[in-house]
This record gives sequence, C-alpha cells and structure tokens, in this order.
Amino acid sequence: MSTVLANQERLRIFGLLSPAYLWLTVAIFLPLSAMLYFSFLSEVPFGDAEWSHTTENYEAFFQTSTYAILLWKSIRLGLIVTLVSVLVGFPCAYVLAKVIKGRSREALFLLVILPFWSNSLVRIFSWAIVLRGNGVLEIGLNAVLPFEVDVNLMFSTPAIVIGLVHSYLPYIILTSYLALQAIDDNLIDAARSMSANKLTILWRIILPLSLPGLLAGAVLIFVPVVGSFMEPRILGGRVGTYFGTVIEDQFVAVYNWPLGAALSFILLAVVLLILAVASPVLRRAQT
Amino acid sequence: MSGTFLARLGKLWLALILFFLYAPIFVMAFMSFNASQYYQLPFEFSLKWYEKLAGNTEIIDAATRSVGIAIITTIIATILGTAASVALFRFEFRGKRFLQVMLFPPIAIPWLITGTAMLIFFFGIGLGRGTPSVIIGHVALALPYVIVVVSARLATFDATLEEAARSMGADGWTVTRRVTLPWISSGIIAGALFAFAVSFDQFVVSYFLSEPGDSTLPVLIYTSIRKGFTPEINAISTIIIVVSMAVMLVAARFSNFGGER
Amino acid sequence: MNKPIILAATLAISATGTAVLADEIRVLNWQGYGTDLGWAVDAFSKSTGHTVIHEYFNSEQEMLTKLRTNPGAYDVVLINAAFTPQAQGEGLIGPVDAASIANLADVPENLKGNEDLNAGGALHGVPWTWGLTSFAVNTNEVDELPTSIEVFWDTAHEGKVSIRDDALEAVQFAAIATGQDINNITDLDAIEAKLSDLMPQIKTYWGSENDWNQFMAAGDLDVATFWSGSASRSMAAGLPVQFIVPQEGAIGWLDGLSIPSSSTKKEAAHQFINWMIDPEFYVKWAAEGAPASANAKAAAALPDDAFNKRVLGDPEVVARVQFQRPVSDENREKYLELWQSLKAAQ
Repeated sequence: MSTVLANQERLRIFGLLSPAYLWLTVAIFLPLSAMLYFSFLSEVPFGDAEWSHTTENYEAFFQTSTYAILLWKSIRLGLIVTLVSVLVGFPCAYVLAKVIKGRSREALFLLVILPFWSNSLVRIFSWAIVLRGNGVLEIGLNAVLPFEVDVNLMFSTPAIVIGLVHSYLPYIILTSYLALQAIDDNLIDAARSMSANKLTILWRIILPLSLPGLLAGAVLIFVPVVGSFMEPRILGGRVGTYFGTVIEDQFVAVYNWPLGAALSFILLAVVLLILAVASPVLRRAQT
Repeated sequence: MSGTFLARLGKLWLALILFFLYAPIFVMAFMSFNASQYYQLPFEFSLKWYEKLAGNTEIIDAATRSVGIAIITTIIATILGTAASVALFRFEFRGKRFLQVMLFPPIAIPWLITGTAMLIFFFGIGLGRGTPSVIIGHVALALPYVIVVVSARLATFDATLEEAARSMGADGWTVTRRVTLPWISSGIIAGALFAFAVSFDQFVVSYFLSEPGDSTLPVLIYTSIRKGFTPEINAISTIIIVVSMAVMLVAARFSNFGGER
Repeated sequence: MNKPIILAATLAISATGTAVLADEIRVLNWQGYGTDLGWAVDAFSKSTGHTVIHEYFNSEQEMLTKLRTNPGAYDVVLINAAFTPQAQGEGLIGPVDAASIANLADVPENLKGNEDLNAGGALHGVPWTWGLTSFAVNTNEVDELPTSIEVFWDTAHEGKVSIRDDALEAVQFAAIATGQDINNITDLDAIEAKLSDLMPQIKTYWGSENDWNQFMAAGDLDVATFWSGSASRSMAAGLPVQFIVPQEGAIGWLDGLSIPSSSTKKEAAHQFINWMIDPEFYVKWAAEGAPASANAKAAAALPDDAFNKRVLGDPEVVARVQFQRPVSDENREKYLELWQSLKAAQ
C-alpha cells in the first residue's frame, strides 16, 4: 500500500517538475554543453566545412595578449561599476530602511526599483542622448553654473560607467535594503544607549549584519557587467572594446563561433570562480 | 534618530539618486516631443515623431511581435513554473536542493553567454534563428523568476488549511483547485507579470536568436541606434518604458514586493 | 496571440505556391545606400507588385555572416567586388541570369567582365556603382582644405577624428598613408605603427552614413573617412562638409548586386536588380547624391556639374585611386588580429 502511494507521489512530483526542468535543459543546459563542445572545434561544422577537434581556440587566448588585456579590462570595469554602485547605493538603502518611516517608505522603495524593470537598452540610449556634446547635460549645467563648462562625456570610460551604474544600481539597493530591514532597531538603540558613537554602530553592527545582502548585490552587479557588450558599444566609442564586444563580434561579424565559444567559456569560468568565492557568504544571506 | 542633520542629508541623497535614475529617462522622453531631428534645442513641441511611428510598419510589426512573444512566454512560463513551485513546496525528495540550485544559471550566467550558447545549439539541431527559438529562450529565462515568486507566496501558505479541506473529504485535486490555487493566485499573477517583463525587455538573447526581418522591438532599437538614431526611437522607447513600468507597478501590487506592509 | 506563427505559416504556404504574383523580397545592404530610397522602392512596388524589405549591415564581415547564418532570409545583397569571390567560394551567392536583366546591356564590357564579379566563371554580381573611400572634412571646423591624408594625425584635431570600425578598411587606409599598395601590403609593422598613432586622435568609430551625418551636424568631428557617394549626398543635404582625395591617393571599390543561392524569389530579385541599374532611377538618385553608376547610359545622363562627373571624372584624381582586390584568408586574419589588438589597447 505504502509503495503504491510512494509511486503515485513520485509520479506526481515527476509530472509537476519535468516540464519546467526539461525546458531549462533544452534551453540552457544543452546549449551550454553544445557551446563547450564547439569551443574545441577548428571550424563551424555546418554545411560542407571541414573541421577537426582542437584546443587552439583556448590557445589563442594565451598566444596574444589581446584577449587577456580585454578580459582584465572587463573585470576592472566590473569592479569599478560594482564599487561605485555600492558606495552610492548602500547609503540610499540605509536611508530607505532606517530613516524613512511609514507609508512613504514603500512608495519610495518602489520608485527606486522601478527603473530596473524597464528596458535596459532604452536606458542606455537615454544616456547617449544626455551625454552627447552640446547635449542636455551641457545645457543644463551651463544654465545652473556661473561659468561655462564644456562637458563631452560621450564615448569615454566614464560614460560607460555611468550607464552601467544606472542599469545595475537598483540591484544593490534592493539587496541591501532587505538586509538592513532585517536588523532589529532595538539592537541599534541598545548600542546607542551604551553611548556607542555613530561610526562604531555603523562599523560594528550595521555593516556586519548587512554584509551578506551587500555582497549579494555586488555579485549580481559584477557578473553581468563583466559580460556586457551593448553598453560599451553604444557609450564607449573608441574605448568601447571589451571582452564582451569581442565575443559578440565572433558570433555576429567574424563568424568564428568556435573562438567565440572558447572566449565565452573563459568568461564563464571567471564568473563561476567569483560565484564560488562569494557563495559561502551568499548562503548565509539566504538563511 | 537623533542626528536630524544626518537624516536630512540622507534624504537629500535619496532624492539625488532618484534624480539620477529618472532624469535621463525623462530627457529621452522629452526629446521624443521635440521637432528637431538632430535633437537641437530650443525645444519645439511636436508630435511628428509619434505620427511617423504610427506609419512605420517595421517598428509596429516588431512591437506586435514583442508583445506576442511576451504573452506566449508568460503563459508557458507561468504554467510550468507554478507546477514546479507546487512540487518543490509540497514534496520532500532527494535532489530537491539540486533542482533549486539549477534555477540559478539562467539568472546568474551573463546573457551574452546563454544567448550565444542557444544560438549554437539551435543551429546545431537545425532549428536555427526565428520566433520559436526566441520563445524557447525567453521561457527559460522567465521560469526561475516565476518559480521564485510563486514559491515565496507558497511559503506563507498554511498547510493546516489543506488538511482541514482533506479531512472534510475533499480529494487531492479538489484541495489544489479550491484551496491552494486561490491562496497563491496573487503570487501566480505576480509571477506572470514578471515573466512578461522579462520577455518584453529581453534584448541579448533575442539579439542572437531573432531572424532578420522578424526582430523584436529591443533588437530593432539596438540596430537603429548603431545606424545613428532619430527621435522616432525616442518615441517608441518612451512607449516601451511606460508599458513596462506600468506592468511592474501592477506586479508590485500583487507580489507585495515593497517589503512588509 | 499566435500571430507571428500564423504569419510565418501563411508566408511559408504562399512561398511554396506556384502562381505567386507578388513577392516580398528582402534586400541586404548598407543603410541609406540607394536600394532603400522610399520613392524608388514605392515605384518598384507599383510597377511589379513586389514589396521590398531592408536589412542592414555595418561591415562586409557582418554581411557575410548574415548570409551564412540566415539561409533563405535574403533575396538581393550588395557585395563589394573584392568580397564577391569569397561569397561565391562559400556558396553563399548564385550566378545571375544576365538575360533577365535588360539594363545590363548598357553596362560596359570591362565592368561586366570584371574578374572578381565573375568569380567561379560566371557573373555573380551585377555591377551597380563604384566610388572612392577617402575622407571628408567639416568646413565649419577646418579653415583650409587639407591636401594630405596626414590631417588625420594632426594633433590639432585630436579627439575629433573618426574612421570605420573595420579591420580591412583601417589597414588599407593606413597603407595609403604609408605609401603602400593596398592589395600587396609588404610592411605591416609600419601600418601598425601608423594606426597606433592614429588611435588617440579618434573620438569614435562611425557605423553608417546616418551616424556620420549626425556627428558632423553636431560638430563632434573635424575629419572622418567617408565614401564618395555618401559625401555627395551629405553635401547635397547641406551639411558643411567637403570630400577630399588627398595626394597620397584613395581606395576605389566596385559594388555589385548579387542574389543569395538560398533565395526563393529569384525572379523578383532579378527584377529589382534591373530596376536598380536603370538610368532613370540613377539620375534621380544622383540628384540627391550617389556614387558613380556602372551603367554607361546612366553616367552619361548626368549634368556636367554633378559631383561624380566633377570629382571622379577628373583623370588626375582617378590616377591616384587604388582599386580593392580580394584579400586572402591569411591576410584577412592578420589584419583582423592587428586591428583587434589596437582596439584592445585603448
């Protein structure tokens, strides 16, 4: 009797779960495996192309310094964007969670998160409009400031950083906010009653307790930024060549899919490494 | 808080952030109402870019396609995702933790990698580019969001309710239909809206998978931006932003996203 | 809801049907390059019933990859003759039926018989237009018209220079600046050094004509590489620019219209190509600004003060032009690597 039930239950679990996971397998896991296989081919194996197995796509990464430079450039961009987002976003999350009270908090929080769910491409495009020379930024600044300024940020690294921070800032605010909200106000009050100063409270209580949320947000920002290609393309101009744009080129222009696959996997390895390093902290954040 | 000065400074900071987040979007939208093709100021109000847009069949086709893909994605992802969430919530079994972890790759791996991998795979199996490939990709990206949102709602579910229903003689299916689903319906609606937003805003995966002449709206915008942009793109972007923000506002209402109430 | 799918199904059915009168043809070209002129396409549709849809590329590399990865998607494609042999060799394009293109009769033998367009022993690209890749200056920003390509390296224009993000074009441009044969580059190191010096001068890469015009209109650029046909169009549109063929020379190209081997609407494609090399179309196009026509009748019909007669009709200018020839796979890879490493170092 019990085995029949167990079987029935197993069947039900299988029936409920398999469609979703089958879908993920076909759309995510098989493609990733196919890409891994591709990265060891000499040519795109469609049509009557001749191809063989090779490791030269990975060797190409090490043969010239080009790819390593670009990968480092992308990682550095990821670090800068993450750092700026943390410095800007954490205080904002703190204000939301601990300073603002009552009904307005929810509305403000929603207002901060909302742009994140609008099209990122459109937002990058907005910055392209704002940052152009003789653009709105310049006109706006000159209207406010008593002296003439010549701002032409378009097609520069700062432009890329601004665009990316704008895209990913809501992540860090969201995760930090959730972590900060979980901190018991009584704890802070207690510390204050023991005449701990503000810096001590921040350093000894608030930061350690909200660290998991902060790190989760940082990872959520860092990972996509390292793989970004659309933002540098639109905002970067001459300095807009990154690891992501080179991968895009392999697939869209140069038609060297095997090399593109190998470069993608190297990027994936970096991302996984970072996730692995961060995962103990992240797991703590979940509980 | 004792330091009112600090509190005020904090609020000012928040205001600055909101300005930073919204100003470029407003500028972009503002420019869609400006007559000059080269975005020249002074501002001269005109609806001509919206009129042009109304006559641009390419953009309208892409917009209809984007909405169609988003609706199909939403339906599939919501059904599959809700089913999986119920199973993950209701049953204890070996490998459950593993299955939960498996939801992260679609979210955590950069879309550039997932997108190019899909391109390779779909070409390898002969499906190639096109709307079916785009839908397969979008559903996979939306599924984890649906599962996370529905699971969160399920977590608040009181199991004794089900038990009560069962003790009154309702069978498993009836319990699910009359008790469980109504309870989690707000979660399902929120999940569906998230799925819609994920699909409607998705650019990277669509970029690699959509077929020439059958591109989605974001892909069309990207190619247009690279060819030098016109205020027409501002006009369509303004419409997109209004649509996706409206969808998210509704989603937020249903998902209780703003934290404790 | 299922609209795209239903639409695709109906399209598939109508494509297989035999008695199809009106086709929808897809043309792959640079943006703003003749085939997508609204009035021309409308007139073509009215006369033949076929509708035309455009898809654009930003580089020849991208064009080839679009053909490779989207079989059946295109019916007419513009290919620079220097790339026709490669496209033919990969089986991307098929031979053109000369008999069904009446206007081909007015194309001179030397163009019709062009070795590259006749890759594989048959005509694979219908000679359409030719012109120069040189540069143009913004006359609002540059007082005296330069005569030398060295203006790109003049630090007075730092951050106000642009070229296209294209390995081959960048390398050939530097070949001209270093006094080399663009089709037989012997000193690649000199080119690398020259381009490396150029990089800090560059503001951004331009991607299309529209893009280029916007930069010039906004005063973002002083000097940028450009195509002769596009330059004549920009000048006709009233932009403050002047096209220059420097003493060092310029790159010449011949563009052909080809039909992808995977096209399912070859008949309509031939009709469209015929329409595009028609003198009547060309003269109208040239009034707005166009490259030089390959059709002798069309070229003759131009007024004497037309840009193409003035600039390209000058034998002294033509003597300085080096026409592009196909590039070997090996060289192409070398150029790509060089260009990529230069970009990466920025």
